[in-house]
Amino acid sequence: MITCEQLALLYEEYALGVLEGKEREELEAHLARACPKCTPGVAKARWVVVQLTATAPDAQPPEPLRSKIMDAARASTTPARTAVLREKPKPSTQGAMFPAWAWIAAAALALVTGYTIRQMNNQNEQLAQLRKQMKLATIQNQALQNQLDMDRMVAMVMMSPDSTPLKLMPKDKNMPMVHAYLHPHMGVAITADQMPSMPSARTLQLWFVPKTGKPLSVAIFHPDATGQIALVAPVTMPRNEIAALAVTEEPAGGSPQPTTPIAWMAQVN
Amino acid sequence: MERILQRDSGALEALYDRYGRPVYSLVLRIAQHPSSAEEIVQDVFLQLWRSADRFQITRGPLEPWLFTMARNRALDFLRLKREKQRRREDSDSDILPSAIVRPDPEGDIDRSRRAEQVRALMTSLPEAQRRAIELAFFEGMSHSEIAAAMGEALGTVKSWIRGGLLRLRESLGETSS
Repeated sequence: MITCEQLALLYEEYALGVLEGKEREELEAHLARACPKCTPGVAKARWVVVQLTATAPDAQPPEPLRSKIMDAARASTTPARTAVLREKPKPSTQGAMFPAWAWIAAAALALVTGYTIRQMNNQNEQLAQLRKQMKLATIQNQALQNQLDMDRMVAMVMMSPDSTPLKLMPKDKNMPMVHAYLHPHMGVAITADQMPSMPSARTLQLWFVPKTGKPLSVAIFHPDATGQIALVAPVTMPRNEIAALAVTEEPAGGSPQPTTPIAWMAQVN
Repeated sequence: MERILQRDSGALEALYDRYGRPVYSLVLRIAQHPSSAEEIVQDVFLQLWRSADRFQITRGPLEPWLFTMARNRALDFLRLKREKQRRREDSDSDILPSAIVRPDPEGDIDRSRRAEQVRALMTSLPEAQRRAIELAFFEGMSHSEIAAAMGEALGTVKSWIRGGLLRLRESLGETSS
């Protein structure tokens, strides 16, 4: 077990991408559990290392590059969602059918007859309601926490110097591109935006396609309500044996082998 | 970043105006291929645009993220190119033209001073130590690859790189404090 103090000497080597073996694994284990000393230490080390950029000869980017980037950025911006206009509820005309005194009398009678029972049940109902709300809030909180942890993992894999970025091109030109970041230890991160919603009976399934042999299932996933995908799945095959990453649409729960044509694919080696 | 999250394209323009040139310089130095460097820089800025919300989660400063991302992309390109060269044994005819260098009137003074400090530090290092760090940073080589390329013992290379980086850390730490 290497301590944070020992690892502190290695932060810059890690940020530079030269750290190997046990030391690298130890440091990545600290980062994976968001170690309060190593995480900011490595962030600072990344800043130190990128200062070496100053030793690169100064070069002017071509003039059209700026407008190319801006045009592509504007094109990728999600169009603003159309506001849903809701109809105002129509005023009820039922009140005009009975005189006001009749309503008051009926309400008073109902109150008198129901009062005792309601008093007894009221507290129990409130308690049950509160319990229900607390349970729901706990579930929502846990879901948000899980999402945050997953997003943090995705960001870590995306930012790691060891990750290989891949673009999974859609077979259907109307579909968005899926991005993958293949890290030898931390896993493969998958991200996408503006994905169409899927029926609950179907799922997307990610596969490692080996150089020889059958595809290996990596993960099953659904776009969220906003059409985003962000997940990290473990790498279960040596990187040099992976020929491609592929995504297929499968029945809910996934399939042992692909049952539909490949919908997205990226060559790895 | 807040403005980028709100899809303010002006914020991306401002970011490109500030970092486009050093990012391009870094990528070109690594990739040695102008059209590929252009493509990589475009990819990096667009990823920032697309993934701004995910970047927020890491809560780190933008500058190292941007340069680390650019360096990674360029090194990936370099590795892929080397792999293809090894496979095909082709010679790459795309020769790096001399880059157009212009004065940078918008340059940040702190950044410029820091860059000068880094260059001075690197120049002060013994030639072999400097070379080892450059092979790691610009060529993406591991300790053992550098040792093989330079014909030096692995331990020596590790010691050079660690020593050089710690000096860089101390030097920049003095500046920032």
